[in-house]
Order: sequence, then C-alpha cells, then structure tokens
Amino acid sequence: MQNPYIPYPVVVDKIITEVDTKDIKTFRFKFVNPEDEQKYAYIPGQFGELSIYGKGESPIGIASSPTQKGYVEFTVQKAGVVTSALHEMEEGTLMGLRGPLGNSWPLEFLEGKNIVIVGGGFAFTTLRSLINYMIFGDNRKRFGNITVIYGARNPGLLLYKDELIEWQKREDLNINVTVDKGDATWKGREGFVPTVCKEVAPSKENAVAVICGPPVMIRFTLPVFFDLGFSKENIITSLEMRMKCGIGKCGRCNVGSKYVCKDGPVFSLAELDKLTPEY
Amino acid sequence: MEKCLIKKDALAGIAKKMAGDMLVWAPVKKEDNVLFEPIRKDDEPFFAYLNSKNAPKNVFFPHTETLMKFTRTPKGMAFSSEANTADQSVLFGVRPCDAHSFALLDKLFDQEKYQDAYYITKRQNTTVISMACVKPPYATCFCTSVDGEPVSSEGADILLTDIGSDYLTEFITAKGEKLTKYFGDVKADTAAETKKNEIAEKAKVAIKSKIPAHEIKPILDVNFDNPFWNTIHGKCLACGTCTYLCPTCHCFDISDEVKGADGIRLRSWDSCMFPLFTKETSGHNPRPSQKERWRQRAMHKFKYYVDNFNAIACVGCGRCVMSCPVNIDIRKVVEDISKL
Repeated sequence: MQNPYIPYPVVVDKIITEVDTKDIKTFRFKFVNPEDEQKYAYIPGQFGELSIYGKGESPIGIASSPTQKGYVEFTVQKAGVVTSALHEMEEGTLMGLRGPLGNSWPLEFLEGKNIVIVGGGFAFTTLRSLINYMIFGDNRKRFGNITVIYGARNPGLLLYKDELIEWQKREDLNINVTVDKGDATWKGREGFVPTVCKEVAPSKENAVAVICGPPVMIRFTLPVFFDLGFSKENIITSLEMRMKCGIGKCGRCNVGSKYVCKDGPVFSLAELDKLTPEY
Repeated sequence: MEKCLIKKDALAGIAKKMAGDMLVWAPVKKEDNVLFEPIRKDDEPFFAYLNSKNAPKNVFFPHTETLMKFTRTPKGMAFSSEANTADQSVLFGVRPCDAHSFALLDKLFDQEKYQDAYYITKRQNTTVISMACVKPPYATCFCTSVDGEPVSSEGADILLTDIGSDYLTEFITAKGEKLTKYFGDVKADTAAETKKNEIAEKAKVAIKSKIPAHEIKPILDVNFDNPFWNTIHGKCLACGTCTYLCPTCHCFDISDEVKGADGIRLRSWDSCMFPLFTKETSGHNPRPSQKERWRQRAMHKFKYYVDNFNAIACVGCGRCVMSCPVNIDIRKVVEDISKL
C-alpha cells in the first residue's frame, strides 16, 4: 500500500527571485531518488504539498510543465510559516514533496480548441505550466489559436519575465502582457486585465477560456467573457482553500460535497454553479 | 457462521485471557466515565455499561498519532522513517452504533484512491467484538433512525447478545472466527437464536427517539441559503465537544514537532466547529462565523456524506446530544430541517 502522506525527498536545486519585492520566488526541486520523478508524473493544473520537516506542509500549484524533464518547479509567495521557511532556504537543502495532487486542467477537453488564457498577478503559475505544455514540440498542433492575457500590478511584479519575452517572439502565440501602472522603462500595455480582455476580444468560436487570478480580477473578467458569448462550460478556473492532507480526508477544503484538493482544484463555471458558494 | 453460548459471568475472564495474548481494548470505569482503554490480563473490564463516554474511534484513528519521523542532517531536516505499526488487537464489547461507525469511516479512509495507511493497518489488525444493546441505554439513542439497530452485527467481527443467562456469540467474519477458541465449545441451539431474534425485535421497538434523518437530504440539497441556518448556532460555544465525541467525525490537522535533532509529523483530531479550521493565510475564511460551521456539520453528516458515499454520517449514539454544554440537539436540528 502506497502511503500518500509520505513525501518524496527532494533537494532545492535552484531558486529564482521572480519579483522586485523579492517575496515571490520560483523553487526548482530535483528528486533525491531519480526513480521518484516517474512516480511524480503530473499534468498541468495539479498541485503538490511542499513539505518542510519541522515546519509543516503547504499546498502549491505546480509551475513547471511535465515536458520539462529532470525537475519540478513551484512559484511561491512568502506568506505563512511554511512558505516563509522555504524563502529562507538555500540551494542544496533537503526537503519533501508530496503529490501530484488534485485533478488538472482538462487537457482532453482543451484539445482541438482555441485556448484563451487569462492570468492575474501571482496566480499565473499553473497557467504557465499549461502554456509551456501546449507549446512544447508537437503538442502545439493539438491546440488551435492560443491567446494569453496576463497582467500584474506593475512591471516589477510580472513573473517569468524571460519566458514572456520568448513567448512574444513566437508566431503561434498571441501574448498580451499588461500592467495596471507602468514605470519609466515600461514600453508595454497598461490597463487592467478585464479591460484588456475586452480589447483583445477573443472569439467564442470553438474556444475555452482558462482564467486564474485574484478574486477582484475574476469578478470583473467573467462578465467580459459572458458578453463575448462564452458559456459557463467553456470557462475554467482553479480554486484555493486551506488544505492539510490533500487527499480528501482531513475535511477542511470541501465546497459542498466536493473536496477542492481531490475533486478540484480545477472546475468549470458550470460545475461551480452546482456547488455551494462557500469558498 | 459459527455460533456458541457463553455464561454471562465468563465474559470478563475471556477478555482478560485475550489480554494475556494480545492488545485488548475494553470498557473500563474511570471516575464517573466508562472509556475504552487497553487492559492487562489482571485488569477488570466493566461490561455493565450503557455506552462509553468517548466513541471508540480512537482505536483506529487516535486523537494524536505519529505519521512519520524526521531528523536533522547537514543539509536540513530529512525524512527518517514511516511510523505505521499496529499490534494484533481486539476491541472488546463496543455497542452496535459504534461498530456501525467503523463501517462508515471505512468508506472514507479505505477508498480506492488514496488509501489511508494508518487507519487501514489498525483496522486490519483489530477484531471488533460488539455487544448488542438488549435494552436502549439512553433516552437520547436514535440508531434506528440512521440505519442502525440495537442488535446489529454491522461493522463487527463477533456479536455478543445477552439472551438471559448466556451470551449468544456469533462469529460474523473470518477474522472473528480466528478467536473461537477463547469462547468455549458450547454450541448454540436454535432456541438461543429464536430468543435472540425476539430480543432484537423488542430492543428495536424500545428505541423511542426517532428523527426524520432520511427525509432531509432533498431538503438540504436546496436550502443552503435558508435563513434557518441563523437559528442553530447562537448559543454554540465552538467547544468542539460534539465533534470530538462523535463516532463518525474524522476531520484532522497535521502538524510538526521538533525536539533537538529529531522531529515527528503528527495527525490530531480537528473540528469544523473551530474558527481556524478553514482560515487561510491571507486572512480569508470561507466559513467566517459559527453559522457556516454549524451548517457544515449538519450538511456533512446528512448531505455531503450521502452524496459521496451513499450513507448518513451519524449513527444515532446521542453523545453530542448528551454532552453539548449548551444543549444543542442534533435531533431537533434534523426535525427542524425536515419542516423547511
């Protein structure tokens, strides 16, 4: 019997400070036992429990794509006990990783469709995983047009800056990066994500919108997509709740009869409508 | 199924004899309470009890248990060992409502995906011996409203029924049959079985407290926002007694403790009644007041568990009714919901 509470041993291989405020870092982990990487086969949209012995665990979305071999990445904001301890860590430190947990972005459902990805701020991590998965090699052929709308409060808070530049060079991607307010060096777009969505106005034809961001962004973005004619079945999002076990037993992350950790975190708006609004 | 008869005064001796060979959890009297505790072969179990103060769920799902151990290394704290062992043991003399709760907890901890190794190991290594309730222990008992019966073998490996001068001993499962040698060789005749069936019928009728537990699922389905939910929690102290004593409540917390170079990861009981249970690091709490927490408790037992496992997560033991310091009565809550 595989014990789902025991983490895989991992080593912190690389730490990338993502933002000017230095409180969001990407941690790249390598598995201490190479065979564990196979066992950790994941799909974009899933999450893991970062396990720091002596501090506890924190559920975090997986930011790398399964097409990136040899490591797994998580982008973490410093917030509570575990994430603060993580931010103090140095490369080479040993820790634990559980998972992969939860469902995932619905890849089969997305195949053959035009994909609109909308991300805000720090919630871009599992969307980044999805983008890197879709544009990897032959995978790109399995999806139609890919439109990305990604916003942050200011240029210093954009994640994955190097990747954004690389993505903008590709002709098979429509990348729209925006900031609420630019600075002296910012030459890109300014404006809130919902406004940019309205300007970009992606077509609803054969399209699915995958939206992830702070509640205020979601609140103002959804009406834009409803106006564009997207159905609730074709708008997908990911929920967050306080979690412990991550496997649907400890009882705290349920929304109605569904556990966000096990039945989610990914739900379509149509599915969310059937649940109680308690999240 | 094998059946035998044992003299009533032989029961304690059987439990003690087993205690010489394996770990035996039996009811013992402590001050005014009866609790299930491990006994040694010279300890005196207390079988003249109505029901134990605590549900015996702690045998499979301890109040606090170590999940794993870790230790300091030059490169940081690292995993050292898994802590999942369980001795061969017997849970001797639980009431059928509590044995029913094990069958309900199995649905959660022993799912196809994500098997809970700690619970399952203990469950596999433990033989459950139920003692039928030949008369209703308390006025607060309502097992017959939630798929239970006072004389029932559900969740049990062996069932003992008091039929007068003897206990009819029925070996329900193969695990139970492994213990036949402790119970002597007086085979039960059909008269004993007839007697048991009569007693079972009478015991069922004697449970007077009834609640419409099966009627409220469709009502809960459509009444998440009903103002009724404002009416239960006003006097609730959020003490968590109801959830700690409940045989089916299974919510838990996971935390780490370190002393010197060694540490352990623990799981401990938690409660949906506590404000911090769902509070997130950001400060956001999806269940911000006791109203939402009480709604969660009622919904989890009578709707969510039914949605997920097709079973009500209440066995009608009445412990929460008896021990709530402000007299919130789940029976009245269910009754009120049925009238929405």
